[in-house]
Amino acid sequence: MKVLLVEDNERVANFVKKGLVEAGHTIDHADNGRDGMFLAASEPYDVVVMDRLLPGSVDGLGIIAALRKAGSKIPILILSALSDVDERIRGLQSGGDDYLVKPFAFGELLARLDALVRRAQDNSAETVLVLDDLSVDLLSRKVTRGGKPVSLQPREFKLLEYLMRHADQVVTRTMLLENVWDYRFDPQTNVVDVHVSKLRHKIDAGFARPLLRTIRNAGYMLTADE
Amino acid sequence: MSRLLRFSARNFAIGYVALSIAVLVLFAAPLWFEWHRRIESARNEFLNDHAARLAEIFRGEGVDGLTRAINAQASSRPQGGDRLLLLADASLSKLAGNLPAWPADIPAAPGAHASSITVDGAPMRVTMVGTSLPGGYHLLVGSDVTRFRVVEEFFWYGLVGASATIVLLGVLSGWMVRRALLSEVHGISETTSAIVAGNLSRRLPVPGNAHELDILAHTINRMLEQTEQLLHGVRNVSNAIAHDLRTPLAELRSRLEELSVTRPAPGETFAEIEGAVADVDRVIGIFNALLRLAEIDTGVRRSGFVQVDVAKVAAEASEFYQPVAEIKGLKLSFQSAGAQSVRGDPLLLAQAIGNLIDNALKFAPLNGAITVAAGRRPGGAVEIAVADDGPGIPDAEKPRVSQRFYRGDASRGTPGVGLGLSLVEGVARLHGGALELADNGPGLRATLVISAETPAR
Repeated sequence: MKVLLVEDNERVANFVKKGLVEAGHTIDHADNGRDGMFLAASEPYDVVVMDRLLPGSVDGLGIIAALRKAGSKIPILILSALSDVDERIRGLQSGGDDYLVKPFAFGELLARLDALVRRAQDNSAETVLVLDDLSVDLLSRKVTRGGKPVSLQPREFKLLEYLMRHADQVVTRTMLLENVWDYRFDPQTNVVDVHVSKLRHKIDAGFARPLLRTIRNAGYMLTADE
Repeated sequence: MSRLLRFSARNFAIGYVALSIAVLVLFAAPLWFEWHRRIESARNEFLNDHAARLAEIFRGEGVDGLTRAINAQASSRPQGGDRLLLLADASLSKLAGNLPAWPADIPAAPGAHASSITVDGAPMRVTMVGTSLPGGYHLLVGSDVTRFRVVEEFFWYGLVGASATIVLLGVLSGWMVRRALLSEVHGISETTSAIVAGNLSRRLPVPGNAHELDILAHTINRMLEQTEQLLHGVRNVSNAIAHDLRTPLAELRSRLEELSVTRPAPGETFAEIEGAVADVDRVIGIFNALLRLAEIDTGVRRSGFVQVDVAKVAAEASEFYQPVAEIKGLKLSFQSAGAQSVRGDPLLLAQAIGNLIDNALKFAPLNGAITVAAGRRPGGAVEIAVADDGPGIPDAEKPRVSQRFYRGDASRGTPGVGLGLSLVEGVARLHGGALELADNGPGLRATLVISAETPAR
């Protein structure tokens, strides 16, 4: 994917650039708001990473609002050291699609960018999600693996649905907390891991090929690839 | 400050004295004039009567008869208080009487006159009534009023004495008020200076005689009490932060330094770097928890309060932790008496209830049971009680467990930094409630109480 990074801190910018290039993406970098605005308006990017506090006391939110006013629908992830709930709400209200607080793990950023791009491209109204021999019927809420029914509790179903929608992508624990449980805090104990391993037991146990993988230092991925 | 006070005390005294003297004069002046007027008119009446009687004698018996009568009535040498009589001819020459001659300052025309005369070298104040008789004769009937002067003098002495007493008392009380005020104000300003200098344990002296200044001192002392507590809290928190952030930072530093000195094989290096990242994540975790606590303490999150069913939030939190309980061999159950709607922040309430369940999961024994119960108290407050059958918290430790970074003996060896219950308490306070810790016999029963009304700040 093609990413625009608007960030004035050189070290953070290099860290993100390097990581994205290594993951096989192309990236343009603007270190001030004016260039960022110009690039975002003239080039077709898949996603924008926008810092909030830019040189000349420009707030990234102003740029986002201007882009939205101009009719741009490009997914935007806000990167900010401002962590208050109010700030997050303000960020999303100005037109941002996701909000990541600094300091952050690169894996978290990458997973969120993938999810944003996927969400923007996915406009099919599928009612049955299929991955290999696993199928999830969103209407009848029935799950089968290899034709055999799998019985899930409502929250497990929601968890599986989210993983299916982001199949072949890494999803982090924080993303699961936010999207499956609507929680925006760190529950200290590894509760998410326990939920995932319970789900894994239900869909993978007894099958030669496991679909739900743990990605070290990042999160989980539902994939049929070897 | 003290100059202003001196000024105000002096002005007060002067004003008071002036007012008192004015009141005294207002009382004395009419009395004095009325008294004078009455005495005068009574005296003149007597003198006129006497003069009329003498005129009667003159009309009946002529000049000789009157001369005889006057000589009979008047002692030749008038003493104090005696009646003074004088009969004179048309040229005001004395014919009879006990006055040496017609007084120079009394006209021949009839009427009442006051005058000072000298009789045998003694000064005398007199009141005279003159009468004209047929044939050009003049008659003076007078009375010596010298003896009344004593009364007058007493009156004036009294007035001046009373005024002097008022002035003296005014000055004295002004001085005393100033001294009392100054001593109290000095007490306040001395204490305040000590507090400014950093001695926050000082309190204003309260004489305890229910003076107006007592009320002030009490209020200021209450304010000082609260300030000291707040400052104490801040100091505790910063000490705790210093300690709890320094420990992982020290570990991180030594890990990185060792790495740069020993330069181990790549495989080992990567393991160490991963460990260092985990250390940083721990610091970030503490940092985030502290920021959230600070955010809660400011109360700004009340602006985002919505109507929320706390029972549902508690049910979801129980469900969220259910698999963890299963793995640990614990029974986690949820009880509810229906929806419990309050105004609040659903995210924070979820985190607070989650923290309570997380705590219970840490301390419940193998095969233990944890109960989460949502209900409403008789007063209308909503409560979420999380009870376990673990070791509980000793009474002595209970007030301290919600302090920031406090970790009880029982929590040694469990993960966490000691901010969980602080957050629960902060969330409870934000919602106008409290965190109550009670014995579950055995175990702990932690109750998050949420007020029925939204607290106003």
